[in-house]
Amino acid sequence: MTRNDPVKHFFIWPALLIVLVISIFPLIYSLTTSFMSLRLVPPIPPRFVGFGNYAELLQNPRFWHVAWTTTIISFISVALQYVIGFSVALALNRNVPGEGLFRVSFLLPMLVAPVAVALIARQILNPTMGPLNELMTFFGFPNLPFLTQTRWAIGAIISVEVWQWTPFVVLMLLAGLQTLPDDVYEAAALENASSWQQFWGITFPMMLPISVAVVFIRLIESYKIIDTVFVMTGGGPGISTETLTLFAYQEGFKKFNLGYTSALSFLFLIVITVIGLVYLAILKPYLEKHK
Amino acid sequence: MSVRNLKGNGRWWALAGCLLWLAFTFFPLYWVAITSFKSPLGVVGGPTYLPFVDFEPTLTAWRELLSGQRGQFYNTFMASTIIGLSASVIATAVGSMAAYALVRFTFEVKLLTGLIFVVVAFGGYLLGRHVAGFGQATSLIYAFIAALALAIGSSWIRLPGPILGNDDIVFWFVSQRMFPPIVAAFALFLMYTEMGKLGFKLVDTYTGLTFAYVAFSLPIVIWLMRDFFAALPIEVEEAAMVDNVPSWRIFFGIVVPMSKPGLIATFMITLAFVWNEFLFALFLTNSRWQTLPILVAGQNSQRGDEWWSISAAALVAIIPMVIMAGILSRLMRSGLLLGAIK
Repeated sequence: MTRNDPVKHFFIWPALLIVLVISIFPLIYSLTTSFMSLRLVPPIPPRFVGFGNYAELLQNPRFWHVAWTTTIISFISVALQYVIGFSVALALNRNVPGEGLFRVSFLLPMLVAPVAVALIARQILNPTMGPLNELMTFFGFPNLPFLTQTRWAIGAIISVEVWQWTPFVVLMLLAGLQTLPDDVYEAAALENASSWQQFWGITFPMMLPISVAVVFIRLIESYKIIDTVFVMTGGGPGISTETLTLFAYQEGFKKFNLGYTSALSFLFLIVITVIGLVYLAILKPYLEKHK
Repeated sequence: MSVRNLKGNGRWWALAGCLLWLAFTFFPLYWVAITSFKSPLGVVGGPTYLPFVDFEPTLTAWRELLSGQRGQFYNTFMASTIIGLSASVIATAVGSMAAYALVRFTFEVKLLTGLIFVVVAFGGYLLGRHVAGFGQATSLIYAFIAALALAIGSSWIRLPGPILGNDDIVFWFVSQRMFPPIVAAFALFLMYTEMGKLGFKLVDTYTGLTFAYVAFSLPIVIWLMRDFFAALPIEVEEAAMVDNVPSWRIFFGIVVPMSKPGLIATFMITLAFVWNEFLFALFLTNSRWQTLPILVAGQNSQRGDEWWSISAAALVAIIPMVIMAGILSRLMRSGLLLGAIK
């Protein structure tokens, strides 16, 4: 039940004002700038170009390349995070021995600064002084160029993402698993349902709404990735691991091409919104079926 | 024997899987910890794993770091701490007040009012900038005030059209998180620069960065605290209302003490977010108020292969969060974060 009381304005206005100021200023500024040709270095007077920046971007192969790289990184890493995270959450929910210790330690990576994680990853993946290549050599594999060859570099970024964000998936799914009622499983056990059947028949459908939310959050957040890439590869080799945010940073902060950068960030916003909407549209029938 | 326990072989498989994941999680952290105690020779000579067995630990890296030979480390640490703590305190306070209001009071905003706000803000800015010839910052400020005044004014008259309720307002707050931060960070940097020309220095100041962090933490705070407040029993508050206790005293005297664990958890999640944040700090600071992530990221290009000092710097950024993870997991055991995901 909600009530009406003039004091409510006193409660909500501070937050409302702060978010309004910070969200509307950049919105107005970058939306208007995205329709203009505006450079700070070399300084040229702003000129209205309509959709010129957008058209130029959509014809730029680098934009498509960067968008594709970001998509690969996000989808693969979120898929891995979900599968691993769900398995770990299931194990923790079933009182695996030493569960208390696991719980504390599984939380940790999420709280470590991504730039620090990227620096550690650089050390571990170093071709001559790093432990991973020593291990590979020990098992008879060749020394691998983890950060200087496109495929390996993308793989390295994905594994850092998985390392860092699987704990979030574990945390959320574990909380969800603990709310599932016991009696359904007791009934299933009486019917001699195997644990495989129990998982696909009971656990997975009942966890679907939470799963959808968790994957959604992770997907949106993954698209914003910059710090890990910035430190690990700097977008290299060449531009092969450059992500959308890093591309915008290069254009805006290195070249000071403001109109172009603003248009890029709005295209980015459109990409994220489209992906979010398509994702929710695909999953909606499943969600309703299991309600 | 409860159904929740695994039987037979499954138990051992699950344990093996968990141990494997534990090793994967811990190895990088172990690695950075031991590397910070290595001597230059111990790093260059190939990977070593066990202190005292493989290599002789030294305190060189830490001594260099703490004595300030390696740049203004102390200063950066203090900047990170001050900004992190104050931004999370303000965000938690302001955000939970808003969350409480959105749970317990009725809000009705006409869709048209929102539209008026957006249209006037945009139109006012364009008018001021290109017709009246004001500077960017000035025209934005005028446009914002005009839009706000008109929007509030328009809520007094009866407007047709759909009405937005509490859930829509919450959705609006949370949807701010969907916005790619690069859009905001870059525009904010330009705005701050413009404000600097008017005499309010915001780039590389305490106020500028803290304000940006508060604004970007508010959606998370409101999202978490709303579920927390909604789970509180309303009977206590109703009893207080019967006794004519004013709403603000109900909030500060009854609700806040009851939701202490939720407030602490939200505060810590916000603190972790601000402490590790990279993009805003990269755009909005350059020297005085630079935060730890920027300094740590910079180690990479400045130091190259000096892993011992890079590791020590990374650890300074990591350790406070490790301590927090311990506290947070203890809170988690009380089922605290459960409500947050519904």
